[in-house]
Amino acid sequence: MLVSDWIRSEGLSPTLRKAFEGAHREGYLRAYDRLEGAGYGAAVLRAFASAAPRVATQVGPDQAIALATDASRIAIKARPRTAGAFLDLCPVMAVKLKDPQQFGQWREMIAAVLRKHPKAVLPLLSRSEMLFDRLGLDPLGAWVQTGLRVAGQDGEQAIAYFQLETPEALRLLERFAGEANFPSLESGLKSFYTALWQQTPLLREAGSRGPNGGSVRRTTFSGGLIQMPSAFSGFRGQEQQLYRASIAHVGAHKTYGGAQFKLGQLKPLQVAVVSLIEDARVETLTMRDMPGLHRLWCPFHTAQHDGVPTAQNLFSGLARALIDPEFHPTHGWVKKGVKMFQAAAGRLHDPAISRQIGNILGNDLGQTRVQFDAVGYVVQPAYRDDNLGLWDLPADPETPPPSQELEAPLADLRRTETHDQRQDRKQEQAKPETPDVLEPVKTMAADPEAGRKMASLPEYDYHGGIERDDWVSVNAYDPVPGDPGFWDQLQDRHGAALSRIQKAVATSETGKRRKLKQQLEGETLDLDAAIDTAIALRSNRQPDPNVYESITPPPRSIAVHLLLDISQSTADPAGPNLTILDMERDAAAILASTMAQLGDDLAITAFSSAGRHDMRVVPVKTFDTPLDKTTASVLSGLHPGFSTRIGAALRYACRDLDGLPRYRKIVLLVTDGAPSDIDMPDADYLVEDARRAVQRMRAQGIDAICVALGNDAGQRHTEIFGRKTCVQITDIATLPAKLSAFYLRMTR
Amino acid sequence: MSLDSYRLSEEPKYYPSANEVALYTAAYEARLPVMLKGPTGCGKTRFVEHMAWKLGKPLVTIACHEDMTASDFVGRYLLGPDGTYWQDGPLTKAVREGGICYLDEIVEARQDTTVIIHALTDDRRILPLEKKGELVKAHPDFQLVISYNPGYQSVLKDLKESTKQRFCALDFDYPIAQIEADIVASEAGLNPQDAERLTKIAGKSRNLRGKGLDEGASTRMLIHAGRLMSAGLPIAAACEFALIIPITDDPEMRSTLTAAVDACI
Repeated sequence: MLVSDWIRSEGLSPTLRKAFEGAHREGYLRAYDRLEGAGYGAAVLRAFASAAPRVATQVGPDQAIALATDASRIAIKARPRTAGAFLDLCPVMAVKLKDPQQFGQWREMIAAVLRKHPKAVLPLLSRSEMLFDRLGLDPLGAWVQTGLRVAGQDGEQAIAYFQLETPEALRLLERFAGEANFPSLESGLKSFYTALWQQTPLLREAGSRGPNGGSVRRTTFSGGLIQMPSAFSGFRGQEQQLYRASIAHVGAHKTYGGAQFKLGQLKPLQVAVVSLIEDARVETLTMRDMPGLHRLWCPFHTAQHDGVPTAQNLFSGLARALIDPEFHPTHGWVKKGVKMFQAAAGRLHDPAISRQIGNILGNDLGQTRVQFDAVGYVVQPAYRDDNLGLWDLPADPETPPPSQELEAPLADLRRTETHDQRQDRKQEQAKPETPDVLEPVKTMAADPEAGRKMASLPEYDYHGGIERDDWVSVNAYDPVPGDPGFWDQLQDRHGAALSRIQKAVATSETGKRRKLKQQLEGETLDLDAAIDTAIALRSNRQPDPNVYESITPPPRSIAVHLLLDISQSTADPAGPNLTILDMERDAAAILASTMAQLGDDLAITAFSSAGRHDMRVVPVKTFDTPLDKTTASVLSGLHPGFSTRIGAALRYACRDLDGLPRYRKIVLLVTDGAPSDIDMPDADYLVEDARRAVQRMRAQGIDAICVALGNDAGQRHTEIFGRKTCVQITDIATLPAKLSAFYLRMTR
Repeated sequence: MSLDSYRLSEEPKYYPSANEVALYTAAYEARLPVMLKGPTGCGKTRFVEHMAWKLGKPLVTIACHEDMTASDFVGRYLLGPDGTYWQDGPLTKAVREGGICYLDEIVEARQDTTVIIHALTDDRRILPLEKKGELVKAHPDFQLVISYNPGYQSVLKDLKESTKQRFCALDFDYPIAQIEADIVASEAGLNPQDAERLTKIAGKSRNLRGKGLDEGASTRMLIHAGRLMSAGLPIAAACEFALIIPITDDPEMRSTLTAAVDACI
């Protein structure tokens, strides 16, 4: 049916008339016709007819009409059902966003996902509302964009990301939401614990899943190890306080707690009550020493007077009553607990009172009809630990307690005690998963060639203008020993260059102290100047006060981190029987010997990369090691392979230089190619990232200098480093001699 | 100019924490040079002042810095209307006239300049003025004291072994809590409870020495905070102003310290 016919025959509903006026009405009808003609099914059409007027009233008719095109694209690339879901969501988002431009931005975000991973659109749509509420529009865009980057070409991973099934998706969500989580707070918590208790805690993030498959919700400690959940949900804006409260609570246990309680014949209910009294006991003692902790802990006790008397409510009430003097409980059992605890105030240093009071209260409660769900029980309030560290759990003394078991819920206490078989099964299961408690809980996928993970570095995404923390993993690989006769051969190959550079160094004034004549201040009189001044004085002329002589302060305080690109392209020939890498190697060796003569500090790192999870570095020489045969051997053992991620290499070198007490710090990069990596099809991305890295370094007072090899390599390097700090060496064979000369000039 | 102006007229208050007064007195009797080791603001300078007053000797203090040269210690030729004349440096003055010369934070001075004290610190007790061609024999009352903070010295700054081995040494640290609280209370005119709270706070910050902080809060800082409290500031504000902000630039560490202070009050 034609639009005009339709208008004539049926007319429009008043809502539509109001939403689309004038020319927009025809636009809407045409869009409707197109959608109808395309045959995506009645559901899509219905959804459009329902969504369009609502969207139009919120963000204008143009946006509403454009939905038809969006829906049509989604129906084609994904499925009509997804298009329906999109249209259903639009009015909701329009209400939330209100502004046409922002609504357009949101549509564009969905379109971007559709272009790359059509199947991921539905999972994203189904969570859009929640995500938007948590993040807001711009961070949501950044999160979506990051998801597309994380997934790369992998559609399955994209779906998993937008379904929030990958740990990375959750971690990034927390970060973009500006919520503090364990990794962001870890070092602060360590310091806080150390300050309070004079001990550095062994702190770890708990695994993402507890033993029941649910998330870990409470801190737990055992032996020297403290494990904290990666995030506490439901405490937005209070995360830091909560984590601090939690670690201070663990400190209280460790400082005032006694030996672990024996489990004996206690039932889970009694165990819970004894633990609760023990919590209150150690907190009370701690607050005698540090009264301010009351302000940290108390706000998390939110139990109310008149809750339904379930075990959980009574426990929360008792916990609050024991810490909060302003709270006046109404329930008899809670009152009794408070009374008994107060009666024991003089003996609080004795952990046995927790057991005594806990036993009596536990028995009392057991005789009432109050139900206690041992499996679902979670200690309240959230800052308190799961209490497993308080109890001497029966376990095989030969096996260290696997961390999975530490997170077992309270109900397992009974099981481990009464069902030996189950215990065995649990241990068998746990062993392969967590072989060592001290192993960091969060580990990235291991590399086949046994690189050691050294650091996580940020990377900059110019699309979103965001810097993503912990994006690139740096793995150190052991050097392969090469030719021990390297120095001698170097002498043969570059004898002339070496001696020329040695002369240059010898005449270079940079390393020497110089006498400064005619100074206003100095250690000794400059005799000539003094005589002149004396003559001037006696002949009644204006005397020159610059009569002293001094010596320049000790100069040269330079540290250089030399980065050698050993990506696959350096295997290309640079001359007869020589590869680019051979040249780089010689150049590095000559530079190193030059610097050793000048007394400058040098570190050499060779780098390549295989995606962001494997930034490969080979430490050839560190600042601490001397320049010797080992350096030469390692240098000659380098072999080419993989790609070039320059930004990450620069950040790595910069991190290494950062703490060094030197006046001048330089990162010198020798590379033959523009940045590239296997997981990054967008060439500009890595260039922009490297540029950002250079800017950051310069802001920190670290110079970045690039030596670009070959003809076509240069252009992008100037973009990254700037023209003055980038030197192009077209005849690669001259690199060894030029590099040192260049260095002398740069550091003068 | 004689050294009389370097005599202390009032007793600088000092609260001994062990037998350091007796040890120092014995060293002075034997005219042995003394090295005071310890973190900043724990009372080293105050101790020397106290001892100088007690022994009735003038005290010449030289605060060492990076650009310090030998001439700054021993003296130099200056140009006058009638040609050059020699001007004794503070060290030479103390050597000639018999005073206690205190070189504060000696590692800050350039290493080559510290060698000039070598002849003064063994049994020769002489100071050669190379440029003047004079050999100054030390006055019988002369004694050399140096201070040195092993905490923040880097590899670049350390005393030469040959210098170290010439000195008797006293190890200083922050006083134990009770004495420190007394010191803070009396120096800042603060009530004992508040002084005790400040001491406890300082203890927390000292737990972080080497673990994010180069040094914990010094007794001097506590006295400053105490004075601020006496002037009416609440304890949290005083601690932030006098302790937390001066001690670190790291926002995370500041936040941690603020939380630790908060836990103690």
